[in-house]
Amino acid sequence: MEMGKAKVKLEKDLLEKVKKYAEMSGYSSSEEFITHCLEKEIAKLEESDSEEEIKKKLKGLGYIS
Amino acid sequence: MADMNRRKFLKLGLSAGSLLALGGSSDIVTKVFGKQETHKKVLILGLDGMDPHLTDIWMSQGKLPAFARLRAKGDFRSLQTSIPPQSPVAWSNFITGMNPGGHGIFDFLKRDPQYYIPAFSGAETHDPSKTISIGNLVFPLSGGSYENLMRGRAFWQILEEYDIPATIFKMPSNFPPVETKQRTLSGMGTPDITGSVGEFNYYTTEVTELRQDIGGGAIHEVYVIGNRVEARLPGPDNTFKKNQPESSIDFKVFIDPVHPLAKIVIQDHEFILKEKEWSDWKKVRFPMIPTQSVGGICMFYLKEVRPEFKLYISPVNIDPADPAMPISTPDSYAKELAKKFGSFYTKGLPADFKAMTHGVLDEEEYLAQDDTVLKERIEMFEYELSRFDSGLLFYYVSSTDQRQHMFWRFIDKASPMYDPKLTLQYGDAIENIYKEADKILDMALKKADKDTLIMVMSDHGFTPFRRTFNVNTWLKENGHLRLINNWQQGQEEFFMNTDWSKTKAYSYGLNSLYINERGREGEGIINPGPEKEALVREIAQKLEQVTDPVTGEKVITNAYVTKDVYQSQHLDQAPDIVIGYNRGYRTAWSAPLGRVDKNVFDDNMDKWSGDHCMDPAVCPGILFTNQKIKAESPALYDLTPTILSLFGIEKPKEMIGKKIF
Repeated sequence: MEMGKAKVKLEKDLLEKVKKYAEMSGYSSSEEFITHCLEKEIAKLEESDSEEEIKKKLKGLGYIS
Repeated sequence: MADMNRRKFLKLGLSAGSLLALGGSSDIVTKVFGKQETHKKVLILGLDGMDPHLTDIWMSQGKLPAFARLRAKGDFRSLQTSIPPQSPVAWSNFITGMNPGGHGIFDFLKRDPQYYIPAFSGAETHDPSKTISIGNLVFPLSGGSYENLMRGRAFWQILEEYDIPATIFKMPSNFPPVETKQRTLSGMGTPDITGSVGEFNYYTTEVTELRQDIGGGAIHEVYVIGNRVEARLPGPDNTFKKNQPESSIDFKVFIDPVHPLAKIVIQDHEFILKEKEWSDWKKVRFPMIPTQSVGGICMFYLKEVRPEFKLYISPVNIDPADPAMPISTPDSYAKELAKKFGSFYTKGLPADFKAMTHGVLDEEEYLAQDDTVLKERIEMFEYELSRFDSGLLFYYVSSTDQRQHMFWRFIDKASPMYDPKLTLQYGDAIENIYKEADKILDMALKKADKDTLIMVMSDHGFTPFRRTFNVNTWLKENGHLRLINNWQQGQEEFFMNTDWSKTKAYSYGLNSLYINERGREGEGIINPGPEKEALVREIAQKLEQVTDPVTGEKVITNAYVTKDVYQSQHLDQAPDIVIGYNRGYRTAWSAPLGRVDKNVFDDNMDKWSGDHCMDPAVCPGILFTNQKIKAESPALYDLTPTILSLFGIEKPKEMIGKKIF
């Protein structure tokens, strides 16, 4: 598959699934779907403030501090 | 463990509570389910945390006449609570007629064994599985959902199968409300608009009060410039934008240069508060994208105008007139109540004990807030009573529990937080809430006719909480838990400084202890089977021998091995040991989130001075009925088949209790 200048190899079975689910989910193209998936995953890995946020939420419970 | 994996997991967990309904509202048509007109009526009052010992004392002193009347006509017993006696667990026992092995709620907190990360045990949020990004915005293509993690059937779902109508008001552990056509309003576990247990906001010029990272609220430093304060009210994460930034609303406060009052301007509201005055509910809307916003309700309290400026804003509650998350069945029930009564507290535990713990609200201010909660509840109880003519009505009161947590120090001279001066002022706060409960019961007794079975129950009682015990530190000192850097002891939460390759056991939550089991835990080292079994027995036995070096008292009266005391259906998710603390003792403040403090024992120096996360044997609940009770020692899960039997319904096979009559 070609996106801009970069090429990414995908297994044929996976590519078929990508096409199928991109269409089912209302994405305008497989590229858009893949881009979105990757962005979402990367964002998860890049964020490191999550631990503090979780702690803050749990500490709202009266029983712990 | 790879740090990256753990981060990824944490980020995933963070999405909980971020699914919010937007805009719009539908017409109010609440249909009452159940066509069958039942001759029999069952009216249940759920008074959270009401203690049999205190009830008995004040009854004998003539201070609780309605309770005394009910006892004379029927019966009064201590009610066996759950193992452990924590509200979500206890109420789930009552709702399902099972124990934690059956309903799967074991503690306020559960943990992910793979990553050793804690989470609330009651509900989970599933993000929309499909979204689309356009520029900086992310649009959901499919709806997300909320899941109540309590397993089994609620008794009102079973009543529904038999066409028996029920109204279930604020039942704890019922968020999101389980699927039913009955009229239900969600209770404890219902978050505020940010998806947390409750986040107050406090705006002050007083620098010395500022603290970072306080649980349950945010303290904002503000400046008074030309008698004007500009600030922002934080809202839910904006899931429409990439990286989900926090939404917010800007507001302004204009301080009267002469008098102790101020005008607050927020969105289309403009109102004046005097110093020490509470506002009524104000509706606010957090903008997401131009066409979408999320609504909520909050109250303002102008604590001080001069010399320091101090303004408290309650956690932004879900607006019952336009709920951003599911809080009732049918959806229209919450709207119906809002139409009749205006806005009301929807958050699980409404009174803001965290604000009091942090000194943002003092005793008097806390009680004023709690009185508002109680007033709202009583108005709605009158309404539900007036239309209760068939089936079952369950009504819940939270203030009994919350006041005992915060004001126990004034009835316990042995409390490290006992204050004789404040006791003169607030020594009767707990007695007063028992008297309020008595008035509520009186309303119920007046409504009841000869066909009405009345049941008054609590999920657990109360005991003093004077000393803290950090079980994780105890595990370390006994060679069951190893730190990576000993010099960092007491600094890290979530067991971040723990050497899992040499750790045999750990504790998350209020009473739960887990073995670091191979194949179950991410880096487990103890083999399931005989090796684990022997270790569980060894630790349980050792725990039961612990004594407090300061007082000489036994700290743990029972360490329950869960496979011995729980049903088997969900045993795989259960802690391995449930720690039952003696009166006066409880887990340390930071141990539930996986911190290994330096000291095993400490005095409890918190205003939160009464508790019940002890041994169920030391904090049973109450049970009053207007019929004689045959069972000598009834338990919460006995009430469920009893309720069904009153309507002629056979006990379902998953229920473990027995009828009490």
